[in-house]
Amino acid sequence: MTSIPSRADAVIVGAGIAGLCTALPLAKAGRTVVVLDRGAAWGDASGANAGTLSLQVKRPEVLHVTRRAIELWQAMRAELGADVGFAKPGGLRVATSEKELGMLRGSMAVQASLGLETEWLEGNRLRDAAPWLGPSVRAATWCDWDALSSPLLAGRALLAAARRRGVTVQDQAEVTAIAALDRGYRVTTAAGTVDCAQLVIAAGAWTGKVAALLGVDLPVDADVNMLSVTEPAPPLLDKVVTHMGGVLSLKQYPNGTVMIGGGWQGRGSHQSMRRETDHLNLLHNMRVACAIVPALKDLRLVRSWAGFEGVASDALPLLGALPGRPGAFVNACARGGYSQGPALGEQMAELMLTGRTSLDVARFDPARFAAAGAHA
Amino acid sequence: MMRVDLAVVGAGPAGLAAAAEAVTHGMTVALIDDNARPGGQYFRHVPPSFRRTAATAFDKDRARAEALFAITRHPQVTYLPEATVWDVPEPLTLAVAAGPRSGQVEAGAIVVAAGAHDRPVPFPGWTLPGVVSAGGVQNLIKGFRLVPGTRAAVAGNGPLLFLIGASLLRAGVAVAAVVEAAPIDRRLPAALPQLLAAPEILQQALDYRWALLRAGVPVLTGWAPVNAEGEDAVRAVQAAPIAEDGSVDRARARSFDCDLLVVGFGLVPSVELLRLAGAGLRFDRRRGGWLPERDEALETTRRNIFAAGDGTGIGGVELALIEGRRAAVEAAVQLSRIAPFAADEIRAGLRRRWKRLDRFRRGIEALFAPPKDFLALQTPQTVLCRCEEVTRQEIEERRAEGFRGAVQLKSTTRMGMGRCQGRNCMATLAALVAADSGASESAVALPKARAPARPIPIGDLLHETIPPPDLPADPHLPRKRRT
Ligand SMILES: Cc1cc2nc3c(=O)[nH]c(=O)nc-3n(C[C@H](O)[C@H](O)[C@H](O)COP(=O)(O)OP(=O)(O)OC[C@H]3O[C@@H](n4cnc5c(N)ncnc54)[C@H](O)[C@@H]3O)c2cc1C
Ligand SMILES: Cc1cc2nc3c(=O)[nH]c(=O)nc-3n(C[C@H](O)[C@H](O)[C@H](O)COP(=O)(O)OP(=O)(O)OC[C@H]3O[C@@H](n4cnc5c(N)ncnc54)[C@H](O)[C@@H]3O)c2cc1C
Repeated sequence: MTSIPSRADAVIVGAGIAGLCTALPLAKAGRTVVVLDRGAAWGDASGANAGTLSLQVKRPEVLHVTRRAIELWQAMRAELGADVGFAKPGGLRVATSEKELGMLRGSMAVQASLGLETEWLEGNRLRDAAPWLGPSVRAATWCDWDALSSPLLAGRALLAAARRRGVTVQDQAEVTAIAALDRGYRVTTAAGTVDCAQLVIAAGAWTGKVAALLGVDLPVDADVNMLSVTEPAPPLLDKVVTHMGGVLSLKQYPNGTVMIGGGWQGRGSHQSMRRETDHLNLLHNMRVACAIVPALKDLRLVRSWAGFEGVASDALPLLGALPGRPGAFVNACARGGYSQGPALGEQMAELMLTGRTSLDVARFDPARFAAAGAHA
Repeated sequence: MMRVDLAVVGAGPAGLAAAAEAVTHGMTVALIDDNARPGGQYFRHVPPSFRRTAATAFDKDRARAEALFAITRHPQVTYLPEATVWDVPEPLTLAVAAGPRSGQVEAGAIVVAAGAHDRPVPFPGWTLPGVVSAGGVQNLIKGFRLVPGTRAAVAGNGPLLFLIGASLLRAGVAVAAVVEAAPIDRRLPAALPQLLAAPEILQQALDYRWALLRAGVPVLTGWAPVNAEGEDAVRAVQAAPIAEDGSVDRARARSFDCDLLVVGFGLVPSVELLRLAGAGLRFDRRRGGWLPERDEALETTRRNIFAAGDGTGIGGVELALIEGRRAAVEAAVQLSRIAPFAADEIRAGLRRRWKRLDRFRRGIEALFAPPKDFLALQTPQTVLCRCEEVTRQEIEERRAEGFRGAVQLKSTTRMGMGRCQGRNCMATLAALVAADSGASESAVALPKARAPARPIPIGDLLHETIPPPDLPADPHLPRKRRT
């Protein structure tokens, strides 16, 4: 087993999208960076997610960062020198009931006020745009920003790029203690100890647990999202599909497999680490999917799984300095954090390098929760 | 939702025997199998509409098979053919995909008799047309009386090779060679005492060998296929000596012309469902790899879930029949359907025969114990995962990038992520990781078991009546879930 360096400018806890997208710009700026992961790098939410990069499903508070993130996703192939499976076919956000139609109109208006123009489609125009939609779909908004990428390719590309830039990414290195030094922190892991000037907690669903090592309370819970994939099939749907009620995400990858998600909950918890699919919710998920895209009935389901998506109690990202813990930061729990990861990592690195950010991320400041020193 | 005393997964010898025993104790049974006809692997038979041309093992066993199949028409038995058990949503509930009949089966006890499937071992050319698995050829001969070639070679590891060689001869096909990786001739004397525990089965095996000898078929033992040659179809196979440590001596390779190469490296127990049910597994390489842990009553580590037959370790048809009965008796005991003394009597008879056959099985396992691994058969261009067309070279490239574990190699190459979901290639990946890390195959952490146990049409999931969903009021907020 390789041992970790004894010191670094920055230590990042968690090798998911949040951790790696923070590490890359830091390394580019010449900082020495160690990224620690409890299990295998990219082995949790970032490796298990659906790869949907939808702008129009995001909350108004995060539209600006998501838009920036999609720009970064688009540039990632050139930036990393490797394919991340990015495509921007645009997306439809569908509504199936009177209530959802109202919500969709409201959401569209709010988005327009924030500078995101989407297009209202119904009737023949909707069927022309997406003949594969079922009759239960009453209307949809079209957003040409909506995109997708492959979490499998992206993980490989980000890890390879990080290693190439000299970042140490250490697997099997659970952080078990963090001690404050005169300046910076001493981080104890299952694979050795490392001292650093700056520390970032990017531990996804387990961010609360890691913050507690510093005596900081963060209200972090986790959803147990389920996802399913079909066998490869001929081209069936050529756009990203999302749902106003938040119960479906659908898209077909170039290899023909269709990914079916929608935040249906599996069983288990991030505390127990148990994550199983929930049979009944799997049936519901498939029924919603077939109601929206009836041709899915003829495909074979090959695998379903569940993963942990960390979420703060107000469902906004945690991004910023930990109050009362100089040099310690958090970047975690963005809802749809895979989409937003590149931009949130960029902002985090800017804050660490310059003390400022180019985007307004004040609402994500962990100070809104942190009862620092509560049990320090 | 159907409710029965006993749910039996698999209508092969073990499952049929379990159902037949269960009804004698008054139990209601659901017998679920994904084939159109009962019989599983051994009693696979031609549809009644087919004309018979040649004799097969099935004809010999016809009376026995017909008696077993009768259980599918018993009034206490609900037989569900063309039905796939794909999930275990509750400890004693099975989810079944069967077109409009899809739904759940709730049972007092479950016997999983899911059988085994071919173990694919990659070597150069193994994906060429004309290279077929032992199970596949057996199915064609038994199920359709078809042999897809005129001059066959048979290669791999395990007792089935001789059976296949002999049945090919009987079907009128020339056999160019039989290539067996284990040095069985050298090992025979040591294994003989155990093999004599079942002289009637030994006699069968010797008959097959004798038929090959009489036909002048070269039989190479301690040799393995190292290349299947041909452009759009197999033309010849090269074989070379293989040592116990898995190394091959390509310099001594011999070539055999053939237009059909039958490859069989033994069978792998189908344990997906048991993994989904959370049953504990143990590793036994000679017996096929990962097997369910069972106690003497054939109960898994999950209460009232029993496992029987080849799905618990390859044992052959006679053992499967005994285990099926035994599992049903134990289920009857658990559900208080049989008096303890009556159970003891049946157990005693079964145990005697089981012991004898198990002794024979150990002899077969000693005789055919495979080399450490078959990794030396591969070249960089060899395809390891057919569904996603992943080559050995791609694995090596990912390793050089720092990805080493099975889960990481899977997600960075897509090996095991295709249609078969690793049923065919996970053992290869585990062997590669084990060789790389110096650990044993049993220590390699494999991807989790996930529904569906086998691919199922999504349309099958729309028929059942289920309670309405609990929809989120605000999809952005944390969702409700059952823990
Ligand atoms: C099934 C599913 C589908 C999803 N679909 C989408 C989607 O389509 N689009 C989208 O934008 N988002 C989606 N998401 C959400 C998205 O995946 C996550 O928001 C995002 O991946 C979070 O990234 P992360 O780096 O913060 O967390 P993670 O990827 O979970 O990484 C955190 C890492 O921290 C490590 N860690 C934890 N504790 C410690 C410790 N003590 N020491 C060391 N390391 C530690 C973990 O091992 C883990 O690797 C989905 C999530 C799930 C589960
Ligand atoms: C080529 C070949 C030749 C053989 N020759 C001999 C021989 O000569 N002598 C001998 O003793 N043995 C032989 N065997 C082994 C013999 O076939 C088995 O020992 C015997 O069939 C095992 O019976 P079983 O009931 O355990 O499993 P099987 O006969 O394999 O039956 C299992 C059944 O369960 C079904 N099933 C599995 N999972 C599911 C699921 N999730 N949902 C629904 N159905 C499912 C399968 O489709 C199958 O029908 C041979 C095997 C092969 C492959």
